[in-house]
Amino acid sequence: MNGIVDTIKNVLKETDLVLGWTTDPVTGVATPARFHDEKEAEQAVFDSTCAHNLAVHLPRLKDSRVGIVAKGCDARSVIELIIEHEVQREQLAVIGVGCGSLLDVKKIWRRYGYGVAIKDRDDSLLIGGEQVNRDEFIQRKCHGCLEADPDIYDVIAGEVTGEIPTDTVRPHPLHDMFVSLTPAERRSFWREQFSRCIRCYACREVCPMCFCRDVCIMQTQIPRWAGGAVDAKQSEMIQLIRVNHLAGRCTGCGECERACPVGIPLMLLLDEQNHAIEEMFAYGAGASLKARPPLLVFDVNKDIWGKG
Amino acid sequence: MKFIASDRIDGLLERLGERGPVWAPREPEGAAGTVLFAPWRPGDAVELDRFTTLSAKKLVLPASEKLLSFSYSLTPEGEALDITGADQGRGDTVLFGARVCDARAFTVLDALLALPPGESYQDPGYRSRRRNLLVITLACTAGDAACFCSSWKEGTASTQGSDLMLYPAGEGYLARSVSPRGEELLALDIWEDSDLEPPELAVTDRVPFEALEAKLVGSLFSDLDFWRELTAKCVSCGYCTYTCPTCYCFDMYDEMSSSRDGERCRSWDACMFYLYTLETSGHNPRPTIAHRYRNRIGHKFSYYPANQGPVLCTGCGRCIRGCPVGLDIRDVLRAAGER
Repeated sequence: MNGIVDTIKNVLKETDLVLGWTTDPVTGVATPARFHDEKEAEQAVFDSTCAHNLAVHLPRLKDSRVGIVAKGCDARSVIELIIEHEVQREQLAVIGVGCGSLLDVKKIWRRYGYGVAIKDRDDSLLIGGEQVNRDEFIQRKCHGCLEADPDIYDVIAGEVTGEIPTDTVRPHPLHDMFVSLTPAERRSFWREQFSRCIRCYACREVCPMCFCRDVCIMQTQIPRWAGGAVDAKQSEMIQLIRVNHLAGRCTGCGECERACPVGIPLMLLLDEQNHAIEEMFAYGAGASLKARPPLLVFDVNKDIWGKG
Repeated sequence: MKFIASDRIDGLLERLGERGPVWAPREPEGAAGTVLFAPWRPGDAVELDRFTTLSAKKLVLPASEKLLSFSYSLTPEGEALDITGADQGRGDTVLFGARVCDARAFTVLDALLALPPGESYQDPGYRSRRRNLLVITLACTAGDAACFCSSWKEGTASTQGSDLMLYPAGEGYLARSVSPRGEELLALDIWEDSDLEPPELAVTDRVPFEALEAKLVGSLFSDLDFWRELTAKCVSCGYCTYTCPTCYCFDMYDEMSSSRDGERCRSWDACMFYLYTLETSGHNPRPTIAHRYRNRIGHKFSYYPANQGPVLCTGCGRCIRGCPVGLDIRDVLRAAGER
């Protein structure tokens, strides 16, 4: 079993580049990187700050043979991108890594300041020398982890954990609060949340499945589907459109929520929808290469919703 | 020097509120720890220890605004087009707890958007909001690893763009006015006299950028490989431009309420978006992320200083702190310097 550096070096023999992470010298946390040769690959790391889903880059690399380091959640995006023909299985070398839950680095920085020293060792997390409760600083998505180990890989780097890292699969941390609200309260909850939105579209750009990118309907001029105002009403509508376009396609990687500069809990919307789709169609996006998306194969004469 | 104890800040904000709406750094509920400049009302907690995620630029350049409304009519008597400009008149707005980089950003924007009449195009909305903005700045005794305002000569000691400076000292803040309007604020009966010494101010990261002005329109402009390599991980969102205190680009559009009536509006736009330079013909002079990022850096560190004077950056570090892919503008500037 090879470490991440050696594995990437091996994979580079058959690929043009490998998508992975390196350590940012200023903050000491991982940042996405591309490796083209053995020398560059020396800088590769994998640790609990490797939160980014690198699959977002695949649709832009259609003409390359690409190696990609993938956690369990990232692998689901890779699978879904293959199913949707955004990337070909043959052009990929997937380097699977086992993940034991990721740190929410932005949350740590917001609380303790950008670049604060973070030491994550097994059961103890030290922030700026202070011992803290690790559970409080892991990514929200890790609380509802679907896949600790990748379901698609050509080679494994390090060790896979073989188990879901958190004790139980849990819904979004805000789920219980949200479902206790009346419809009117839900409306005002989202209005309040979206009042902070600045329409930077970070949620869209980091989403591996939002690959319409430059021709996204939220910004096209002809026709103009969305208004130009930056206000809660527009942002809410835009996000509902995005969520709907991800129906049966969102793999729950949580990147939109991680990227949001103003802390809007976007995965609350997507988690609810993902659960509904799982119930209705027994489909989880990115769970299996063999599965076919319900929107593609649903037959109204045979598969009537609710029939069983 | 004048002094105010920390536990009397609420009293100060209430007095400032007599002059107009007060905006202060606050942590909204349910915002995952984000600190933002937000309207302050009595009883609201103010967050003065942590940096805000978004800058204060929306106080002078709202994320979107109506410029005018229009109405077209056709009757047997003839046709008419009524145009009504948006109301620009407004009273004071108070910005409390800006940092040196936030306050200085206003003067950087002034170099383009508030030039004297006759000298340049006019932006009446910006001018009126800027004129009516009172800026109370909190000097930094500590920066974080993203700060690089010391790249500029005065660094954390700058008072540009501020009316009143606050310096952490003892169990409160020393105050110094740096404008006539700041002097008015010091005349309020809320201040005490104090013998405390002003604190040592922070020294932050320094990034050399002086040599870039010529280089960015010269050798680096045609070096697209350089930009491709550095922006490989960029996903082309608007995070850096929208959190930036000096990015001012906007898009104008009409919101029609019928085929004859509508409003002309503008909203923030970001040069990192593909649509920003997409032309009607379908041609896009900046088709890739590398092209767009080159323009972002070129505009900030070359074209703007060449045309307007100041560099279009104050080293606030916001584009670094929350970039979804951890792209650090300082790495780009240093690499550009060495190229």
